[in-house]
Amino acid sequence: MRHLTKLFSVLLLAAVLLSACGAPAATEAPAQPAATEAPAQPAATEAPAQPAEFVFGLLMVGPYNDHGWSQAHYEAGLYVEKNVPGAKMVYADKVNPADRPGTTPAQLAEDLVSKGAKLVIFNSDDMKDSATEFAKAHSDVYVIMASGDQVWKDGKAYTEMANMTNIMGKMEYGKMMAGCAAALTTQTGQIGFLGPLINDETRRLAASAYLGARYCWTNYAGKNAADLKFKVTWIGFWFNIPGVTSDPTQVADEFFNSGYDVVISGIDTTEAVTEAKKFAGEGKKVWALPYDYIGACEEGKEICLGVPFFNWGPAYVTAIKSAADGSWTSQFLWNDPDWANINNPDSSAVGFQKGAALSADAAANLDKFIGELAGGLNLWKGPLKLQDGTEYLKDGEVATDFQVWYLPKLVEGMDGASE
Amino acid sequence: MQVELRHIHKHFGAVHASNDINLTIPAGSIQGILGENGAGKSTLMKALSGFIFADSGEILLDGKPVHIASPADAINHGVGMLHQDPLDFPPMKVIDNFILGRNGGLFPDRRTAAKEFKELAVQFDFSIDPDAYVDMLTVGERQQLEILRLLWLGARALILDEPTTGISLPQKEKLFATLKKLAAQGMTIIFVSHKLEDVEFLCNRVAVLRQGQLVGEMLPPFNVDKLVEMMFGKVVSFGGRYPLTPGASTLHLEHISLEDVRLQIRDVTLDVRAGEVIGLAGMEGSGQATFLQACAGLVRPVAGKLSIKGADVTGQTHHVFKHKGVAYLPAARLEQGLVPGLSLTEHFVLAEETHGIFINRDQAIRLAQDRIKTFNIKGTPVSTVESLSGGNQQRALLALLRTPLSLILLEHPTRGLDIESTMYIWSKLKERCAQDGAAIIFISADLDEVLQYSDRVLVFFTGKVSSPLDAEKVTVEQLGQLIGGKGWEAIHA
Amino acid sequence: MRNNKWFNLGVQLAAVILALLFVTVILLLVKAPPLAAFQNIMIGSVGSWAKFSDVLISFVPLLLVTSGLLVTFAAGLWNIGIEGQITLGAIFATWMMRTLQDSTLPPALIIILTILAGMFGGAIWAALAGALKTFGGVNEIFGGLGLNFVATALNIWLIFGPWKRPGVASMSGTVPFDVKLWLPMIPDTRLSAWALGIAIVGIIVTYFLLQGTYFGLRLKAVGKNTHAAYLLGIPTWQYMMVSFALCGVFAGLAGAMQVTAVYHRLIPSISSGYGYLGLMVAMLVNYQAAWAAPVALFFAALNIGSIQLPVVLKLDSTLAGVLQGALVLFVLLADGVRQRFVKK
Repeated sequence: MRHLTKLFSVLLLAAVLLSACGAPAATEAPAQPAATEAPAQPAATEAPAQPAEFVFGLLMVGPYNDHGWSQAHYEAGLYVEKNVPGAKMVYADKVNPADRPGTTPAQLAEDLVSKGAKLVIFNSDDMKDSATEFAKAHSDVYVIMASGDQVWKDGKAYTEMANMTNIMGKMEYGKMMAGCAAALTTQTGQIGFLGPLINDETRRLAASAYLGARYCWTNYAGKNAADLKFKVTWIGFWFNIPGVTSDPTQVADEFFNSGYDVVISGIDTTEAVTEAKKFAGEGKKVWALPYDYIGACEEGKEICLGVPFFNWGPAYVTAIKSAADGSWTSQFLWNDPDWANINNPDSSAVGFQKGAALSADAAANLDKFIGELAGGLNLWKGPLKLQDGTEYLKDGEVATDFQVWYLPKLVEGMDGASE
Repeated sequence: MQVELRHIHKHFGAVHASNDINLTIPAGSIQGILGENGAGKSTLMKALSGFIFADSGEILLDGKPVHIASPADAINHGVGMLHQDPLDFPPMKVIDNFILGRNGGLFPDRRTAAKEFKELAVQFDFSIDPDAYVDMLTVGERQQLEILRLLWLGARALILDEPTTGISLPQKEKLFATLKKLAAQGMTIIFVSHKLEDVEFLCNRVAVLRQGQLVGEMLPPFNVDKLVEMMFGKVVSFGGRYPLTPGASTLHLEHISLEDVRLQIRDVTLDVRAGEVIGLAGMEGSGQATFLQACAGLVRPVAGKLSIKGADVTGQTHHVFKHKGVAYLPAARLEQGLVPGLSLTEHFVLAEETHGIFINRDQAIRLAQDRIKTFNIKGTPVSTVESLSGGNQQRALLALLRTPLSLILLEHPTRGLDIESTMYIWSKLKERCAQDGAAIIFISADLDEVLQYSDRVLVFFTGKVSSPLDAEKVTVEQLGQLIGGKGWEAIHA
Repeated sequence: MRNNKWFNLGVQLAAVILALLFVTVILLLVKAPPLAAFQNIMIGSVGSWAKFSDVLISFVPLLLVTSGLLVTFAAGLWNIGIEGQITLGAIFATWMMRTLQDSTLPPALIIILTILAGMFGGAIWAALAGALKTFGGVNEIFGGLGLNFVATALNIWLIFGPWKRPGVASMSGTVPFDVKLWLPMIPDTRLSAWALGIAIVGIIVTYFLLQGTYFGLRLKAVGKNTHAAYLLGIPTWQYMMVSFALCGVFAGLAGAMQVTAVYHRLIPSISSGYGYLGLMVAMLVNYQAAWAAPVALFFAALNIGSIQLPVVLKLDSTLAGVLQGALVLFVLLADGVRQRFVKK
């Protein structure tokens, strides 16, 4: 037993070391230029010398190179540095108690302020309370809380904070497009939605995907709405935690094995794509749509129908410019795509990157659908019932932002848990 | 192979464990190394077999100076050592243990090894199942396995450290015959012991160590008195038997049946009286250990009734037994009886009644100093138990016994100890019988010891238990026959 | 000669220097400036009172957890389930505070009850691991790992289910408690002197428990040789259970501190990996309580100081983890080498 414990301890340590060693190696490339640059400019002290310089801080919940949510923000930060003269980013990544025990985002935000930041972006829902705490304690620092609703006057959690702005993209449109692409591709008429945990945001995104799918299913494919099956399976979290969440790999497999031939991913990782690729390799006709990151199709081009993604850059540029020139106002921004070109990196908050597996026909119809949305088509319009049969929107009634943001249940026609 | 030691020195801290040892052992001889515990026998042998390095000095094998870096290196040079505590890996099969240490390919040729193992075993008349697990073997069988393994690995000089302590008389006779045969083939045998009669019987030359020095060598015929004098610096003799004055019933067994994985003991009835000493004789693994553990509450009888001083304790835990004044001293002192890493003081504190929550350090140290003195333990209050020699560990175990006790159960109380320690320990035990009225049940492989100190003897043979024999009316020869399974009809008649 | 204190100290120092060298080599391999990195860690941890108070915030739960682990290690047990025990402590604390927050009880009493609930929660979760070992024959390492998963799942379920905040359930955790229910903080810092005091009392109690009491000595006997301890009359499995429960009390206390003194709510990763970090600290101090506080402080300083690495040098801050791991590994290695030396 003694020997066993000794062995175990050495293994444990080896694992810690290996996992830790792996990380710096990955960051090697960016570290190099930055390191040589760093001594040249102690940002805080040199700031007054260059009046045009505006330092902003970015707090990311995950690693800055996670190919997902945090990386999208990091790239938006680089975009701001490029497009706002004098703007300079300082950042801290992996801002979560598991990676940085004993710290709070507010404390790290103060650290960034001590490095000269006059504006701090909190990039995740995790940091909601910290952002509020920080904004209240530092009225002289501007705060952007991405994905939050604290300063939405009509929202449920409104708190007046003149120095805070909420920014979010209308991913509902992206999900509608994903749903549409799925409906135009499915051969079995069965679409699976790989959901994370259940909350208002994830419910409305799943429902958006369904509404988009149903619209294209009836209007372009000319089929009966009742013949479309749309099932949501929640794994319980944004990514797989062995033993805690359902395994997304298994959930995706189950979809594909039970006749669902398209899976739309609502989680942060790409199991849907990997599994679709595996099944396609075995000769099955299946497809998938990942989420969040513009490059997510790379992992399985041959089965990827496309990916809805966020583009934070333009909104950050506007906000940071307003902070720099003093025209800042506290706002709740829920930004539309640029309907002229939803994939325009300089103007669109939300985009949809078509995948290689999307057929030319379907692509044409999807473009038509996007055109209709651009022209004012609103799928959040009655009559629309909730999953339990209660009325959500009367005939002809158009949902308010409040109704959409806080969607109480999945809508009628969808399978899967609402709570 | 001729083994030659020149000017060997070894210090452990302040102790000069080997002090300028010069010794030449010709090939084909059986060299006895005599000495009391702590005389430096083990140190010298470990230096020869690569377990430790001498501080200075030279080792020559067949006249060539060699540097022995490790035990593996030693065996490559043809020197194999059989330790007092068998150095094997319990959760393994016998055959895997056997193969261990063999140089060669990644995949051992188990079939050939098994065949050779069986051949060797037959040659020695050892019956060990190659597919048994080592932790199921007795100490004696483990030693046999180790001997076979060393021979198989090509040992040309074989060092045996107290080899006769764990094994039965027939096993010992087999061993001696084999050693003589091996010596005749040119093998050098180094036989480390404190047992005069073994050395006298087996060896054709003897060297005596005392306090790290080689005090003398002798060739046959041996003058035993002279040897004893060299060992101890003074003449000692065995003490006589204490008079038997049995008192009230201490332990009462009624139709007890016991089972373990290998054997069954059926229907034993025994009444042990205060002040009485009962010896358990038998070959290793004949059931006496199980029986002793049942008396301690460590093994639960499958049938029958067990009471201590009239109170029924059948099926109770050892702690209930302990509470009633039963003490159990296991054979594996360091593995089962003592806590390595803890000091003597800490042991005494653990063994005593507690007072309050906090330990009174000063009082504990005083207690330890007192016990160390009373029991003549070579150590200090802060010595950890693993730093003590075997004899001193046994003294420490005895010193841990609480007062008063009604029943003391001992497994091999004097195994590996020199005569002086043995006598000392028995004098302490007998004191217990005389003063506290404690009864003693002990196991020993040494039949002389059994007859010397017991009032009554129980003989075990593959689970069969004899009726109690009066120790005064039994001879060593008779006992030897009985543990070998012969002559049972006579005693049951 | 070789076994004296100075020799041991020298070996330990050599191990620390080797660990630093090892990290330096890694830094050089990724073409980062090692001196600047170490300097930034120093400045970022003890460069100002504000930073040092952050270090102390991290020090409190780490020291508490280490204290608990010293008790289980003394009994020869690997309480890997410590993470789950912290989590359960936090859950019980949150539950108590949610129950009482709207009552008319004085806030101080609510806080005390909350902390006691946390200790209780940690203790029962630890006792469960102990029971699995004692009655189910499940090795505490595997039982503990399993219970860690269950604790995490329970925590997330509570945050996104029954205890979700109004509106959108959030990764940010449950609704923060009212300021009057926070453990009072030292002005201009987030550090609670109470929490710090509790942690220091915790390690002192542990020290005396293990060094000076019959209980501690018996626990050590059980840990070093269960069989002999049993023969010496110690009820071994009961002692193991008690050591689990005690460790759970400390872990639960750490969880309660996270809730009442740091986050003021329940968050998904409330245990923050302190349990695993505590295991490393306990190994590094060779299970000696006397050294636990300084080493835990050092680890906390590494954690906080390393935040400067990405901010200033754009280096990955897992460097702190590398250094911590390297320290433990080299010290264990050095100990092995030392023992060989002493033996020969």
